[in-house]
Amino acid sequence: MTIPSFSAQNGKANTVKKTFSRQTSIRIDINSDASVIWTLLTNASDYPRWNSTINSLEGEIKKGEQIRLKVHLDPKRTFKIKVREMEPEKRMVWGDGQGTRTFTLSKNKEGVWNFAMTEKIGGLLYPLYARMIPSFDEAFEAFASDLKKEAELIVNTKN
Amino acid sequence: MDKQKLAAEFEACRGPLKSYILRMTTSSQDTEDIVQDTYLRAHAKLESFKGDSSLKTWIFAIASNLAKDHLRAQKRWPENVTDICREKAMANQPFFQEAMQIRQTSPQGKFEIAEHIAFCFTCVSKSLPLEQHLVLLLKEVYDFKIKEIAQIIDQTEAMVKYYLHTGRSTMLRVFDKRCSLINKKGVCHQCTELNGIFNPDQNAQEAVVRIKMAREAHKADKQHLFDLRMEVVRGIDPFESDASDLQLHHLEHNRQVMENYLKNK
Repeated sequence: MTIPSFSAQNGKANTVKKTFSRQTSIRIDINSDASVIWTLLTNASDYPRWNSTINSLEGEIKKGEQIRLKVHLDPKRTFKIKVREMEPEKRMVWGDGQGTRTFTLSKNKEGVWNFAMTEKIGGLLYPLYARMIPSFDEAFEAFASDLKKEAELIVNTKN
Repeated sequence: MDKQKLAAEFEACRGPLKSYILRMTTSSQDTEDIVQDTYLRAHAKLESFKGDSSLKTWIFAIASNLAKDHLRAQKRWPENVTDICREKAMANQPFFQEAMQIRQTSPQGKFEIAEHIAFCFTCVSKSLPLEQHLVLLLKEVYDFKIKEIAQIIDQTEAMVKYYLHTGRSTMLRVFDKRCSLINKKGVCHQCTELNGIFNPDQNAQEAVVRIKMAREAHKADKQHLFDLRMEVVRGIDPFESDASDLQLHHLEHNRQVMENYLKNK
């Protein structure tokens, strides 16, 4: 299991590089409702509306399903990713042959929701292609910031 | 709660309830059936009404559930529904002949651009997922509070806000891209085009200027323009307006076109 780096600064990405792997993590506090945050994270077709890092996301974000992701960081490529684990409003894991992305949601003592996202890429052949993979830091920061902004905007809708 | 009070409350909200169901189903016949079933169900289950909400909210909850059951198996309409239906209408001579007949003989057969804006919203909003569509109508057109909508659709207030926000955002994007009344690059001119056919004595530009949304299009932000669009929709009862016969005829045409289009897709 990939453990999010809780030492990471709120909203700031942190990358740890090793010979055979690289792990980027981010965490951010969100003053919203878990159901809203989770619905944003699991409604595939809605992603491009609020998430500035994603061009398109097709498929259903359900355990065992395959989703097709296009990102701004590498717009010509379609990533075919499997939803490996799904524990609603708590934890979700996506992955392909190269890496694993883990999303977690937890509540802190003050009642604020903490969103964490970690992606670990690696393997025996990782050193051969490591240089070709761009840094995820900026994209992770934008992802977390967009999620916070959208989830907080929604719950602040007038009654 | 006695049955006389239910009957009185039902009569008081029958108009909004009917237009709400019509805007969901786009079928006058289905609307009549669902409104009648709503009354029968409310009558039969009156003892279960505990007063946790207003009677009106409770009635709308019953009607919404019936409409959802009715619509769940149906596919959403595409965002460019008006383009598809326009093409079919242009090739359908009897449709125009019937419409002209209504225009000439019915006291509720006038053509007004504002009426068409409301009609257009009914069609385009059918492209939304069901929950977003319900919530958007209940909040923006029927003026229910978030708490009341949560009771009507049996969801948390947070999720109602999510549906409202996403439904609004989607409609805002679609109309901004399509509607020539608010965007010079908008691809849809259907309301002014139909004005030329059904109301040639009325200058389309003069009629457009009377609509606040079009008048303020160049200076107002998109959220405000959407609020103004909703103001137009709120002001029109699709069963009672001066154009209701013409618009209901047009709506039935679009419903049939969409049924066939989605069946063959």
